[in-house]
Amino acid sequence: MPSANRIAVADQLLTLLRQSTTEPRRDLQIEALTLAVAADLPVLLWGEPGIGKTAALTQLAAELDLPLTTVIASVHEPSDFAGLPVIGADPANQGVPLAPPDWAVRLAEQGRGLLFLDELSTAPPAVQAALLRLVLERRIGALQLPPGVRIVAAANPRASAADGWELSAPLANRFVHLDWVHDAEVVVRGLGGVWPRAELPRLDPERLAAAVEFGRRAVCGLLTVRPELTHRIPTAESRRGRAWPSPRSWEMTVRLAAFASAAGADREVLSLLVRGTVGDGPGLELLAAVDRMDLPAPEDLLADPAAAVLPRRGDLRQTVLDGVVAAVRGRPSRERWDAAWALMARALEDGAPDVLVVPVTTLASLRQDDWEVPELIDRFAGALKLSRRAETSAARVATTAGRRR
Amino acid sequence: MTARPDTGAPGRLHLEKLFAARLHAVRARPYLATALFAVHVVESARVPTMAVDRHWRCYVSPTFVDRTSEEVLASVWVHEVSHLLRDHARRGDRVMRTLDLDGPGDRLRINLAADCEINDDAFGEGLVRPADAVYPHTLGLPPDGLMEEYVRMFSIGTEHQELVWLECGSGADGLDRAWDLGPDGAHGLSDQERDLVRFRVAEAIRARPGDTPAGWRRWADRAFHPPQPWRELLGAAVRAAVAGAGSGDDYSYGRPPRRATSLPGVVLPSLRRRPPRVAVVVDTSGSVSDSELGTALLETAAIVRAVGGRRDLVSVVSCDAAAQYVQRVAGEGGLALIGGGGTDLREGFAAALRLRPAPDVVVVLTDGQTPWPSRRPPCRTVVGLFGRHAHVREHDPDYRPDGPPEWARVVRLS
Repeated sequence: MPSANRIAVADQLLTLLRQSTTEPRRDLQIEALTLAVAADLPVLLWGEPGIGKTAALTQLAAELDLPLTTVIASVHEPSDFAGLPVIGADPANQGVPLAPPDWAVRLAEQGRGLLFLDELSTAPPAVQAALLRLVLERRIGALQLPPGVRIVAAANPRASAADGWELSAPLANRFVHLDWVHDAEVVVRGLGGVWPRAELPRLDPERLAAAVEFGRRAVCGLLTVRPELTHRIPTAESRRGRAWPSPRSWEMTVRLAAFASAAGADREVLSLLVRGTVGDGPGLELLAAVDRMDLPAPEDLLADPAAAVLPRRGDLRQTVLDGVVAAVRGRPSRERWDAAWALMARALEDGAPDVLVVPVTTLASLRQDDWEVPELIDRFAGALKLSRRAETSAARVATTAGRRR
Repeated sequence: MTARPDTGAPGRLHLEKLFAARLHAVRARPYLATALFAVHVVESARVPTMAVDRHWRCYVSPTFVDRTSEEVLASVWVHEVSHLLRDHARRGDRVMRTLDLDGPGDRLRINLAADCEINDDAFGEGLVRPADAVYPHTLGLPPDGLMEEYVRMFSIGTEHQELVWLECGSGADGLDRAWDLGPDGAHGLSDQERDLVRFRVAEAIRARPGDTPAGWRRWADRAFHPPQPWRELLGAAVRAAVAGAGSGDDYSYGRPPRRATSLPGVVLPSLRRRPPRVAVVVDTSGSVSDSELGTALLETAAIVRAVGGRRDLVSVVSCDAAAQYVQRVAGEGGLALIGGGGTDLREGFAAALRLRPAPDVVVVLTDGQTPWPSRRPPCRTVVGLFGRHAHVREHDPDYRPDGPPEWARVVRLS
């Protein structure tokens, strides 16, 4: 067989190997990535080398029908991102323009695309400083990237980057940080020829206004009660170079929360996005605040106790009932007190009684002299007996401990 | 949370007793209330006692409740919830993978190790110590360890036969059980909900650290800030300090840059590296152990050499109450660290800054029990802090030692 033919056969085999299909598959990290890309926020994928970050990006670009431009940040000089000075005919009058590199020119000509900045964490500080402007202002030298360009970057965690630099705090604050972990099952399916498909989130046009309202209310609600979370540069060494809260990253959070809400995304996806934008602690506090937003408001419950729907989980139920008691305490009246008792009675019907002990005792202590004890109070005998039992058993522990001493 | 559990013979479970015990547990450990109330109770005749799954359901045997007193049940509640809060299922999976373990015997080992992590300071202060619980000393192990450490310290033998009844469920060791309702069953908590409950409990503990046992304080500190490999962190901190502008980097016209060919007629400055000078200040006071110092010092010297490439640029200052001794790391011979007694690192800083030529970076290795310079030194500073000393003194919960100053990069070495 002539050697040209042999190469042709080899090419056939390679073509066959390259053929793969996709399947829709629930994948939280891909959902989070597509939502952030849809929201036009720069994403930074953190992952060990070789776990398929590039493959995921290729899939995403294909799915979104965007041309993919990959730039390995660590092999470039600062001037590749800041622009290279080019002297024209008359520098004194026209100045020295900063010329952009060829890939940037092509990207700008296409008008749209996915720009993938790989190996960001191994880029030296001077290159990162130049990248700041690219990520924030979308400028490369004299060139402005069109709005249709979305930016995704990838970095290796410091533990695995043999000689990595760390990301500077300003650059880290501009990204949505997503931890990219590989799912063995996805990898096996993929090597077998079927990759998961990333779908652009379907934003519900009916819900856009409500989504904006949701995002703003969640973030502003939290920052009103916890203003110290507005800006906090990480001091712990292990958190450097990752997400941290600042007005900029909170603004990104509002946008992500609105997108997640409009897309009807899962709470898990919102959790990945929010914690990746403002950091774990503030992110979890925001999610807790969103949880509280979902809980029924004490005043609504007091207005119509018969229609009340209480959360099933004990800790949330106690939060709601404590809120009701606090509302009665804040503005006490006979009607509100009775309504609160009706709510407690409802809670007793379909929930554990131990959750009720604290709110019921506090509510009882709010009684004023001219208020009659409601009839339904007998129903709480069980809960109060529970409380006495717990007291007795605690007393038994105390006496045993005393005897031992 | 429902009063009536979903499976098994209805009404057989003595709920009043079980919930009275939970209330007892909540009163004894108020910071665990969120977690205790978030757990969903499922009656099951197939569990020997009480067991939890990954999704925060608690399977309860009716006969176990019948024959156990409320105060012991309260302790079991706290014990089971501790498995969930401490994420033993996921950590157990990880240990099985890293140690290449397999099989039910090894899962029992993980369950025992997890119990040791929980039990050494879970009881007392309003909770009885269940007689048949496993404590580190039961297995001849030291107290205050983590599950991952304990697993490596013992293996399952015949002497553990009497412990085989012990069964805390998949929430304690990660092995799915026959009675588990699985991820699709009702009333399980999602990943995000579990994280939120953990977060609430951690915040409750951090809000009042004085009232809580040391084990829980440690957990709360690490729950959302897991300890990081300090070697990598120290390396990254020193590299960042050494590489930053102003230390070692400078523009020079000495040699044309590679881009010069595209700009005929123009001389561009190019970025040239001058290897940075590094001074390592070592706290040699009595409170720092020799082996700790030795490891950290070797590590720093290696990083510095790797960055600068020249050993003669690294100086080491031993410092206790006075700066004792300055050396260069030039020779192959070991370093002599001299000192003992109290510490005053201000002396060490002064000695390092007196070096000529002046250092670009100062790396300080200390346990932090020292006064710090009041002003920022004219160069970058990395502090390696030995984290052995607890932040809280038992007799004075409000005591905080002066932390390293804000201008220093701090890496905790553990």
